[in-house]
Amino acid sequence: MNNTYLPSDYLPILVQFFLAAAFIGGTMIVTHMIGPSRKSKLKDDPFECGIESVGDARTPISVKYFLVAILFVLFDVEVIFMYPWAVNFKELGMFGFLEMLLFMALLLSGFYYVIRKGVLNWEE
Amino acid sequence: MSASLLILIPLLPLIGFLINGIGFKTIPKGAVGIIGTLAVVASFVISVMTFNDFVASGSQPLVVPLFEWITVGDLRIPFSFQIDQLSLLMLMIITGVGSLIHIYSIGYMHHDEGFGKFFAYLNLFLFFMLLLVLGSNYVIMFIGWEGVGLCSYLLIGFWNKNTNYNNTARKAFIMNRVGDLGFLLGIFTIIATFGSVEYTEVFAQASSFSLEDPVIVTICLFLFIGAMGKSAQIPLYTWLPDAMAGPTPVSALIHAATMVTAGIYMVIRSNVLYSLAPSALEIVGIIGGLTAIFAASIGLLQNDIKKVLAYSTVSQLGYMFMGLGAMAYSASMFHVITHAFFKALLFLGAGSVIHAMSDEQDIRNMGGLRKKLPITFITFLIATIAIAGIPPFAGFFSKDEILAHVFEHNKLLWVIGVIGSLMTSFYMFRLLFLTFFGNFRGTHEQEHHLHESPASMTIPLVILAVLSAVGGFIGVPEALHGSHHLAEFMSPLYDAARQANPAGFEPTTLSHSEEYLLMGVSVAVALISAVVAYVMYVQKASVPAPDSAEKSGLQRLVYNKYYVDELYDNVFVKSTKTLSNILYSFGEFFIDLFVNAAVRLTSFSAKMLRKTQTGSTGDYVFAMVLGIVAILFWKLLL
Amino acid sequence: MYPIVLLSFFGIVTLFLGFSKSKNILLPATLLFLIIALAGNFLEWNKGPLLYFYDMLRVDNVTLAFNGIILLSAFMIFAISGGFQDNPDSEPAEYFGLMLFSLVGALMMVGFQHLIMLFIGVEILSVAMYVLTGSNKRNLRSNEAALKYFLMGAFATGFMLFGITLLYGATGSFKLEQIQGFASNMQVGSESYILYAGLLLLLIGMLFKVSAAPFHFWTPDVYEGAPTIFTTFMSTVVKTAGFAALFRLLSGSFTGVYGFWWIVIAAIAVLTLLVGNIGATSQNSFKRMLAYSGISHAGYLLIALTALSKPSQNAIIFYSLAYSLSTICAFGVLMLVSKEKTIGGQPNEYYDAFNGLAKQNPLLAFVLTVSMLSLAGIPLTAGFWGKFFIFTSAAERGIIWITVIAVLMSTVGIYYYFRVIISSYLKEGDLVKIRVAPFYKVILVLATFLTILFGLAPGIFEGLI
Repeated sequence: MNNTYLPSDYLPILVQFFLAAAFIGGTMIVTHMIGPSRKSKLKDDPFECGIESVGDARTPISVKYFLVAILFVLFDVEVIFMYPWAVNFKELGMFGFLEMLLFMALLLSGFYYVIRKGVLNWEE
Repeated sequence: MSASLLILIPLLPLIGFLINGIGFKTIPKGAVGIIGTLAVVASFVISVMTFNDFVASGSQPLVVPLFEWITVGDLRIPFSFQIDQLSLLMLMIITGVGSLIHIYSIGYMHHDEGFGKFFAYLNLFLFFMLLLVLGSNYVIMFIGWEGVGLCSYLLIGFWNKNTNYNNTARKAFIMNRVGDLGFLLGIFTIIATFGSVEYTEVFAQASSFSLEDPVIVTICLFLFIGAMGKSAQIPLYTWLPDAMAGPTPVSALIHAATMVTAGIYMVIRSNVLYSLAPSALEIVGIIGGLTAIFAASIGLLQNDIKKVLAYSTVSQLGYMFMGLGAMAYSASMFHVITHAFFKALLFLGAGSVIHAMSDEQDIRNMGGLRKKLPITFITFLIATIAIAGIPPFAGFFSKDEILAHVFEHNKLLWVIGVIGSLMTSFYMFRLLFLTFFGNFRGTHEQEHHLHESPASMTIPLVILAVLSAVGGFIGVPEALHGSHHLAEFMSPLYDAARQANPAGFEPTTLSHSEEYLLMGVSVAVALISAVVAYVMYVQKASVPAPDSAEKSGLQRLVYNKYYVDELYDNVFVKSTKTLSNILYSFGEFFIDLFVNAAVRLTSFSAKMLRKTQTGSTGDYVFAMVLGIVAILFWKLLL
Repeated sequence: MYPIVLLSFFGIVTLFLGFSKSKNILLPATLLFLIIALAGNFLEWNKGPLLYFYDMLRVDNVTLAFNGIILLSAFMIFAISGGFQDNPDSEPAEYFGLMLFSLVGALMMVGFQHLIMLFIGVEILSVAMYVLTGSNKRNLRSNEAALKYFLMGAFATGFMLFGITLLYGATGSFKLEQIQGFASNMQVGSESYILYAGLLLLLIGMLFKVSAAPFHFWTPDVYEGAPTIFTTFMSTVVKTAGFAALFRLLSGSFTGVYGFWWIVIAAIAVLTLLVGNIGATSQNSFKRMLAYSGISHAGYLLIALTALSKPSQNAIIFYSLAYSLSTICAFGVLMLVSKEKTIGGQPNEYYDAFNGLAKQNPLLAFVLTVSMLSLAGIPLTAGFWGKFFIFTSAAERGIIWITVIAVLMSTVGIYYYFRVIISSYLKEGDLVKIRVAPFYKVILVLATFLTILFGLAPGIFEGLI
């Protein structure tokens, strides 16, 4: 099998890329051009029927949501480290085990800090 | 000998300065004096130990590196101390006489409100002075040189409530600056020529230069300008008599025994360079001779006890330079040592008199003090005999040695020297007789108040008197069947110079009988003037006329110190002022043009720059992107 | 290596110490931690080059010297923070913890031998600094500064990461020696362009961190908005670490392509000098002036990098030390003075706050004067020798024109540095009593003493490395 590629070998990919982009762009332009467009106050409202909207649609959300979400992502991502470790558990042996213990200790101390700080206390 | 011990010698006074300087408001008076004195005495003790070690270990010169100080390209300036015969002798004088003067100051300055400040300055001065003589290169010497200048300024203006004193302090400082400029130029020339400032390296390289090499002569002259400033030689001597505004112990320590001899120290230190430049030495000798006779003649008619001593100091320094000019380095050093003893003693004695007379300094208002102040009188008498050069006191040996060398070298200078010593003897005995003999001429209140000084002041006087009496025996000339210990001790210092210029170091060609004759002349001259002074001021009991009295032309000229101060004022100060006025009006226009243009340009660009700092993150990021695009475009596509 | 491990551990401990009832223990504890770290740092002195963490970290005397400067600066800054006792809103444990963590990042940047280590170091340092900049939660300026810093920092990090990937693409390694080996022997071709592009992008990312023009725009706003104590931290620790990293990067990997990059750094150095010095003249706020002065000092340090000659290494180390000491003094005095003199409840950080300082507190005026003289590069201060060594390094390489520009710009510097001296000595001010805690005084006096000591005897320091 031929393993060396010349830049020209990538030409079909380039052609396909352009075709795809042209298709998306083309469709958007064509729909704008051929579709009728009528604007009125009612049509621009968030809700065209039903009860009238009151106030701003963007209400502030408590910062606690973000904190909890970030903490979740943080711990979730850290735990991913355990997968490759588990797969190679036998090869890594005692050294790997101790390293993982240390890692978990650090992670848990962070967890303890979060709890002591009262981040997870919803009612406060 | 351990380096840690050596470093203590300058460090102790520095510590004393820090303690007294920081805490002078809180430390009790008694403690201040003890701390200040103890620091110096301890450093004297260490100096003596160092001296003994040095002699015991075979008198090998030693350079003790402390730390790397400045390294610029190939020029290395380490911070290190050099221990050899010269620095040890200076160490002994500085710490020894310094200790005595510190003890004396405890009594003398007792009533002064600035007692703590005084001791702090005195300690600081000693620190710089020790740095000056201990340093192993010209840059450290320069640091010490500037430092002692600063302390001298501070101490002359010590009673700074008096504007006159402040002005004299400033005068001393400025005159010294003129000399320092020469010194600095000398150091730069040394660096340019030898690429080093370490004594050992400079002198080793200098030996390969030929005699009268113009570069060496230039260096020597530059250095000598520095010495003229610090050691008060013509034309830079007028600051020293004015420096008497400071407290008397300061005059004794700084303006007689130690600081003013720094110039002589420098020349002896650079003996290799000077020996290679006989023409520069010729100038040194002539300047020294002129100063010796000129200052002595002014001293003849002065009526302020300290002013007489000040002019006498200038004149004695002139003798030392005269000796240097004849390549009699050891003789000059000998005179530095003996002069330190008897001149410090004279100043301290004068201080004792002033103390007793409730701050009166005019000898016309004294007289007959010998009964009231017996110890002061006897010690002052010994010092006077010593300075007049009457054997067997210290001054005789050293002055005579200088004169013998000068005689060999240049007969005219010798005549000047003898006339100078005639005058010296006269004005010193005049001072002695007017002060201690005859009847008391002061007010009743002063008479009632007369008393001998306390022990803390008289003990240093006695010690110095003993030294002035017997100090000369360290260098008895061969003609008197003595042995010259000092010359033998210092001889290794000139090894390099001897190789470079053997002619200058040949043994004396004078026969013993010639030497006896020379001695006889100078002793006779001194005795005759002493007798003349006795006849005039004791037998005839004449008293110098008050300032208001009419004087003859010559008298007026001498009395007003040859109008040198006025001359300097008119020639230098006024012309500088005129020149600066011209430059001011002329130069200002052009300089302003440049300066203003630069300022405008800067402030304009600052304004432009300010506009770029909009505060909007978008703009900042945009500017960053522009910068990145510009860099990538420039380096990758162009 | 020891201080990295120790400080990571101590950072966590500090966070937990914050739970204890008494907040007074925090400051002594963190100072103790720093002393231990400093001691640990110098344990490896003269042990020769040591490699750690799979050859990702290199410890040699240069690393240790930079570490020493960083830890010493940190020690002084921690000490003058006074434990944040005077502000009830503050959270000292978190502040100290974050600073300790950012020190870990700084030490990684100093000792990196692997580009990933550099990146991690930069990120640990920067993330902590973003948070600390905005730590004055109720102050709008502080919030704005933090957001600006974060946005622009993230932007710059992107470039840096892109640069690292391109370098990997070109050379197939993250390790400095292997990049060096490749760069010294490569042929001009497509790889060389990838390497060049990678190098430029990485440099741009790093130059942003040390606030070189034209990537300096964040600096005045952020320095002014951040609480002064963190500004001090930023302008000393972060800057030293940034230059240590740049020096290691360029001297460790790219001496082979010196001809390519030196003119870029030279151009940026000149631009930085112009912007920093001229920008500083038109400021009325002392704090903002110091921000511009920080930019201009980055310009001087860049000259040493441009030259990359034999004296460059010592020049950078000495300059960083001199600059850090003086900057700590300047900000330290600013904090004391601005706290006593307020406008509308906010600390007065303008020049006129210093009016009459010499009468109100002569010691502070003296400390301030020495630090300004040192920053301006007047002889007998450490700053003079710092500049001197940098100029020698440029002269060694034969780049004289850049020295001429730098000297011209340092005369401009005298104008704005002396303004505050004039304010404190020649202008009249109200006789406000300025209280200085004894420990604070000790730190200021120590820094001033060192500035003068290194000014009198720069050789003491040079003999050490």
